[in-house]
Amino acid sequence: MGYSWNWGVFLQPSATGDDTYLGWMFYGFKMTIGLSLSAWLMALFLGSIIGVLRTVPNKVLSGLAMAYVELFRNIPLLVQLFLWYFVLPELLPASLGNAYKQSNPVVQQFLAAMICLGLFTSARVAEQVRSGISSLPPGQKNASLAIGFTLAQTYRYVMLPMAFRLVVPPLTSEFLNIFKNSAVCSTIGLLELAAEGRQLVDYTAQPYESFIAVTLAYLLINVVVMFSMRWLEAHVRVPGYIGGK
Amino acid sequence: MYEFDWSSIPGALPFLVQGMYISLEITAIAIVVGIVWGTLLAMMRLSSVTALSWFAAGYVNLFRAVPLVMVLLWFFLMIPHMLESIFGFPRGSDMRLGSAIAGFALFEAAYYSEIIRAGIQSVSKGQMAAANALGMTYGQSMRLVVLPQAFRNMVPLLLTQGIILFQDTSLVYVSALADFFGAAYKVGDRDGRLVEMLLFAGAVYFVLCFTVSQLVRYYQKKLKTA
Amino acid sequence: MIAINKVSKHYGAFQVLTDCTTHVNKGEVVVVCGPSGSGKSTLIKCVNGLEPFQSGEITVNGVSVGDPKTDLPKLRSHVGMVFQNFELFPHMSIVENLTVAQIKVLGRDKPEADEKGIQLLDRVGLKVQALKYPGQLSGGQQQRVAIARALAMDPICMLFDEPTSALDPEMINEVLDVMTELAQEGMTMMCVTHEMGFAKRVASRVVFMDHGHIVEDDLKDAFFANPRSERAQQFLAKILHH
Repeated sequence: MGYSWNWGVFLQPSATGDDTYLGWMFYGFKMTIGLSLSAWLMALFLGSIIGVLRTVPNKVLSGLAMAYVELFRNIPLLVQLFLWYFVLPELLPASLGNAYKQSNPVVQQFLAAMICLGLFTSARVAEQVRSGISSLPPGQKNASLAIGFTLAQTYRYVMLPMAFRLVVPPLTSEFLNIFKNSAVCSTIGLLELAAEGRQLVDYTAQPYESFIAVTLAYLLINVVVMFSMRWLEAHVRVPGYIGGK
Repeated sequence: MYEFDWSSIPGALPFLVQGMYISLEITAIAIVVGIVWGTLLAMMRLSSVTALSWFAAGYVNLFRAVPLVMVLLWFFLMIPHMLESIFGFPRGSDMRLGSAIAGFALFEAAYYSEIIRAGIQSVSKGQMAAANALGMTYGQSMRLVVLPQAFRNMVPLLLTQGIILFQDTSLVYVSALADFFGAAYKVGDRDGRLVEMLLFAGAVYFVLCFTVSQLVRYYQKKLKTA
Repeated sequence: MIAINKVSKHYGAFQVLTDCTTHVNKGEVVVVCGPSGSGKSTLIKCVNGLEPFQSGEITVNGVSVGDPKTDLPKLRSHVGMVFQNFELFPHMSIVENLTVAQIKVLGRDKPEADEKGIQLLDRVGLKVQALKYPGQLSGGQQQRVAIARALAMDPICMLFDEPTSALDPEMINEVLDVMTELAQEGMTMMCVTHEMGFAKRVASRVVFMDHGHIVEDDLKDAFFANPRSERAQQFLAKILHH
């Protein structure tokens, strides 16, 4: 079809002259990894708290946790991202908003992207944690209360250690999702992997090479995450325990 | 403090409704094609013909490993380019809506096929054996016995995936196609009222998706008690 | 030791317990029996506050269970309970199952808790299994561990909620033997069970429940020799003749 392949394009000096196109790609790759991992830590932390709150007997707390989950689940990620990036700085008190707007644009983009991905994913993590907790045999909670544990101790020593083991597989897919969802952040100008791929299309006239390279990079991330989570799953497996009852 | 001005919304309503129509059109077609193609993929994946099950596994894993944004960019930037050079379509013809629908349908099929595969596997093996014992062929057993039971259990999951798909259609933003979100963004940008338009768009998505998800939950409860 | 006075409980319109009154004196073994759905499991769960109840009063060692001011975890820490499905903690080794509450609830130090745990495992004949996990033990072994776990807290009384109903027949006796031994040592026990042989051997009194009511509350011999109510007669006839 008359297309001339040229994989050597990655080694050519980039348009700005200070790097190769491979260097651009690598910059985007690092950005995707850094953004996804920091957002993931946030999501895991917040999601665990919200997920636990959804299962506590206190109606007000569980109601608030449910509202949190519904809010972040029912608005598209792209809209949430734009709300964090374009809208929030306008609604902050002027001094804070201006300080933000005057900061380094990469920092602005990264912060908005991290908060957005972190909160969006935390709602999903919360749902997994909740379902992990509620899939435990109900007698476990009674047994730990009966032995004299407080509700907090029951969660800490009995329910959460088992619930987290049960949710490793669904959390794996949320972990994979956060890398994939990070590509949405190219829309606010953050130069992560997908954005660099698009840049290369514009600068090199070798669109296929750059898109194939970016797609392969995502596949690589996928494989690495999957194997490490599988290792984790095997590592925390409880001897003799087969699934929930 | 920021002063809100919502006055651009009323005048922009026809444009926004038109955008919503595009969002819903993409969603509806992608759901239907996605479920049909997803069912075929699921059956291939479970079939004893190695080539078919490898193909389905490869397809599903590939699409599930790549970000939707990347898939859409492939469909917006590369596929039209390929079609142009293969079939000699006029350069620059607007295939964005068609590309979007094709991209979403093929992408979602991978996700639907996983839901459907799990649904088929959740029907007990004894059902297949019983159908075979009555003299049904594989196709008949699937169509008359296994799939109806599988789909009944899967409806909530399929609908939930539909809600996610509807939310994801906002990503056609990367091709500047004026779906509901694209329309809202354009109006906000034009009138210098981005804050209001983005909040409005968020609220509309929330109300729609929340309502449908509550309906799905209600249906799920009825299914459980039935 | 345990006093249950006019306790009633309902879920919405469904009445689970109606005006239940009975007691367990120190050193007594009271067996609670009755058809399934009669409320016996609910009643025993009310004793340590696992199930709330709407009216009436339960006191354990003089402490009111239903009083919102009562420190329930503290009360429960010296009321042992054994469950139908064992409910060992699957992610902890057997010995950890026996020590975790000693350490975290009673504040014992680890060597002391370990020593106590091993000693009790030895007593139920499972010392060699100390480092295994619950999923690697048979049902009967798990239930014996569960009894040891409750005993590790030095309970003033023990509650048994159908401890043998989830067991294969050949494992029932190993659990009943441990319970019988406990009873003979003078432990105060309240047992929901269908094991009438066990009741005949060690019970002081038998409480018979039906539809949320306590229908009979009698000395063991009187109950077995001559149940007063027709429902108890039918129940005994069914359960003894199979």
